[in-house]
Amino acid sequence: MSEESGFSRHGDNTFIAEFSEAEREVLINLAGQIIELLSERADHADEDPLAAMVGITTHDSPPDDEVLLRLLPNAYADGVDAAEFRRYTESVLRNKKKSHAMAMRVLLKSASDGAIELDHENAQAWLGAINDIRLALGVRLKVEERSHDELELLAPDDPLRGVYAVYTWLGWLQGSLLEALMDDSANEVN
Amino acid sequence: MVVTKSKIEEEIQAIFSTDKPWVTIVWDDPVNLMSYVTYVLMELFGYSKERANELMLKVHNEGKAVVSTGSREEMEHDVARLHEFGLWATVQHGDQVS
Repeated sequence: MSEESGFSRHGDNTFIAEFSEAEREVLINLAGQIIELLSERADHADEDPLAAMVGITTHDSPPDDEVLLRLLPNAYADGVDAAEFRRYTESVLRNKKKSHAMAMRVLLKSASDGAIELDHENAQAWLGAINDIRLALGVRLKVEERSHDELELLAPDDPLRGVYAVYTWLGWLQGSLLEALMDDSANEVN
Repeated sequence: MVVTKSKIEEEIQAIFSTDKPWVTIVWDDPVNLMSYVTYVLMELFGYSKERANELMLKVHNEGKAVVSTGSREEMEHDVARLHEFGLWATVQHGDQVS
């Protein structure tokens, strides 16, 4: 079974993993949700087409949604500085996060057998995308407030139990990709 | 954007006080894996594994750590990249760091 293997490194620049159909579907779905969530905060280009063209966003206040706020955090403690920074950088950040999730989604969709092969660039996009999904799930699970034990002991009928299982699995998957990326021995041998 | 007088004074002071640079702070986050934080610091800043690991542990144990120092523009660039990879980071003027 592929479930217990995660990512492994092949040569200098290739990282491979095999996903079951269920795992593949979960990942495609979650990446899609991240893309959708980020797209909801689209710029109103019609209000100022020139500003939109050079990447200036019409948003300068932080998102109300807790998940979006975690994905697009304030860069300054000071509200005025944070708003200014957001105005000039948020749309770029949103697009980068979207492109990470899209890279993951496209590859998974084209791999109908569940076999995934990443180069270094794609591996970084996947790391970012998996992390964004975990950040989003983490907000919903309130991992800031709840202890690990509390989350482990969620009742079987609690809908968050399934969310926590996916969250934990993604952490394990990301860990395996990180281990493969940081595996210097693969270089030394060659 | 409303610019207060004290804000302007602060900016001017920052220009002339070369001994108090701007810093990028990474804050502790219960979601990000420790190995992920180490990896991102290595990739973005070119830190050795040891240095990146040391900074990650400081974030983990003390709640935050200064990961880079320089001009305000440089720090804003660093924070933008850290946000791209989901680390919780902010820019601060050096003298605000406790």
